[in-house]
Amino acid sequence: MGLIGRLAARRTAVLVAEVPGWARTRCAVEQQVRSRGWRLADSPADADLLVVCGDPGPRFAAALDLVWAQLPGPRARAQVLDPAGVAAALDDAAAQLADEAAQRHDAGARPDEPPQGVPATDTSIGADAADAPDDDAPDDDAPDDDAPDDDADGAAPPAWDDPHPGSTDQDETDQDDGEAPGADEATGDSDHDGDTDDDSMGDGDMSHGDMGDGDMGGMDMPMPGGIPLAGGAGDEELPDPDGLDLDVLHLPLGPVLPHWPAGLLLHTTVQGERIVAARAEVLEPAADAPAGGSLHGTPAGRWDAVATLLALAGWADTAAAAARLRDAALTDAVPERESERLARRVRRSRLLRWSLRGVGVLPEGDAADRLAHWLAGTAHGQPITLQQVADLVTGLDLATARLVVASLDLDTTAREPVPVEGA
Amino acid sequence: MTVVQVSAGWVPLAAALLLTVATAAAALDGVLAARAGGRPLGEGLLTPAAETARLFRQRRRTTVAADLPLQRIGGAGLLTAALLMVTVVPFGRWTVADLSVGVVWFNAMDVLLWAALWLAGWGPNSVHPLVAGHRFLAQALSYELPLMFALTTPAVAAGSLRLGDLVAAQSGLWFVVWMPVAFVVFCAGVLAFSAWGPFSAALGGGATGGVLAESAGVDRWLVTAGRYALLTAGAAFGATAFLGGGHGPLLPAWLWVLVKTALLLAVLVALRRRLPVVRPERLTVPAWLVVLPLVLVQLLVVSVVVVVRG
Repeated sequence: MGLIGRLAARRTAVLVAEVPGWARTRCAVEQQVRSRGWRLADSPADADLLVVCGDPGPRFAAALDLVWAQLPGPRARAQVLDPAGVAAALDDAAAQLADEAAQRHDAGARPDEPPQGVPATDTSIGADAADAPDDDAPDDDAPDDDAPDDDADGAAPPAWDDPHPGSTDQDETDQDDGEAPGADEATGDSDHDGDTDDDSMGDGDMSHGDMGDGDMGGMDMPMPGGIPLAGGAGDEELPDPDGLDLDVLHLPLGPVLPHWPAGLLLHTTVQGERIVAARAEVLEPAADAPAGGSLHGTPAGRWDAVATLLALAGWADTAAAAARLRDAALTDAVPERESERLARRVRRSRLLRWSLRGVGVLPEGDAADRLAHWLAGTAHGQPITLQQVADLVTGLDLATARLVVASLDLDTTAREPVPVEGA
Repeated sequence: MTVVQVSAGWVPLAAALLLTVATAAAALDGVLAARAGGRPLGEGLLTPAAETARLFRQRRRTTVAADLPLQRIGGAGLLTAALLMVTVVPFGRWTVADLSVGVVWFNAMDVLLWAALWLAGWGPNSVHPLVAGHRFLAQALSYELPLMFALTTPAVAAGSLRLGDLVAAQSGLWFVVWMPVAFVVFCAGVLAFSAWGPFSAALGGGATGGVLAESAGVDRWLVTAGRYALLTAGAAFGATAFLGGGHGPLLPAWLWVLVKTALLLAVLVALRRRLPVVRPERLTVPAWLVVLPLVLVQLLVVSVVVVVRG
């Protein structure tokens, strides 16, 4: 490997995908990335390495394949199942990256055209496994005290596996007829926004809505790249607060997205950059996660939540400091002085408070309050259901929605398996 | 001190100088990042070289039905605007283009960035870059008018739009001393048009990747390098228009320009580490209701002083 390759290896960018239940492994990967002087990638286009933490179920695996197809190359992929194996897996991936013959071969074997996705709403992938969640014992529920507890508010338990929860937002009719294109001319077939978007940064098709092809007679509309243009939603368009006539698209957020709850897939309908309807689900692991994989309710989990929220608030320095405290908490006690200093620094920032004030308001407070609770180490509020998450982000712009999701610190390992109704 | 226009043969040297200082800024950012991550500082120094090697080794990337020409025009626009900006900034006694409307030229170049960043976001045909491009425009609505009035202030004081005249007018007292508000607003404007630090909402300051979410290889390098070059050009202009340019004891004028630019640039780079990102939608109200009136008052004060002094 020449000088260029050696230099490039110093700044290897790593995209980490966490399967629900493998948080400790993800933290170990992040720690290794930092200690090697590498960095975490913002998007698939930014990444050299794709590191999968855990054993993804079929739908998650399909999403990962699409993300993998979006890495520009030279690229390498690794799967890690426990924290002890992280260093070896990264060494191996780095060796793959440096292997120029193999990289050339990989580059030659790839199609010229960017990959086309499959719909994020397509639940038929690996249907056998996904439809039989009953054997997934809810083993993680017990230790997670701030997990979305099912009977907390007396509502129905969140249907993590249910692709068509009965409580779906009523505006979201179009989300549910993915298998019946044509049934709904205006906003039908969510098929067009492929899983390419699963990492939410997918290829061009994501910015195309699914609108318009049905009622336009199909071929009259220009279809760049085989995807119909986004358009107004016609009668189904929701009133825009600014009175604008905006294009409507379906945009899945997750499951592979930095600073995002593991396995969360948020199907959104956006008008402009505003989410007008949302539905959340969690993509399952293929096998049960190792016991104690979740960090929720531990000091490390709190610092992880702090690091995530600060990273999304665009404050890289304090986010890095919080991640270091999290790693310290995983192996040992949190160093008192450092944690105090970081907490003071974050609390003193008026800019941050101003930025988080009024974001994700729940009865017990907003994102700024929750951050203050994490910093103080005090427990916070009620657990939250996926439906509440979807309701909270509805009406927000994408950036704020991401702040809201990060501020909720969802535990996607806690789930109440329910039988899936026939699709 | 008179400023002379050098022949066009010096232009590559001026460009190389801008890129060198921009590289130093990137290295400084790398060092600060290494410090925050608890890594050896020397490792951070190599960041610009390592990142350049990585991106030059990486394949470019296209998306489905991307608008490639516009995407690439936008991506290259940042570096281009920065290079055009510094043409009017005197380097001691020399300048590449001694325009009689230098201040307006600088302003026109920073307005080019509206198009550049928006096109870079539009091109990939993908939601996240597109939204980020629009978020940059929303931010531009907040910073552009205050920035324009901040640029007007030294021009009013000097009675000229030529940068050489601005420097000459500061032979006694630097403008920053009696127009501090304009200086601060100008610096904020530089951060904002470079999409840097608290104003980086459009370029991944929130970890979505922003406009760059779909860019790889040399396309990503152009935007990243362009951003450092913009910060450098802004710092060079600020050092000239507010910090006295080449005026100073002992050292030759060109070295003073370099020193002042480097110091201002270091402050701008370091600010990124101190502050979280300001969301563009929250920026508009304070920008129009607080900052704009403040900078107008500053302009009024300066104008009155100029009239009274005759």
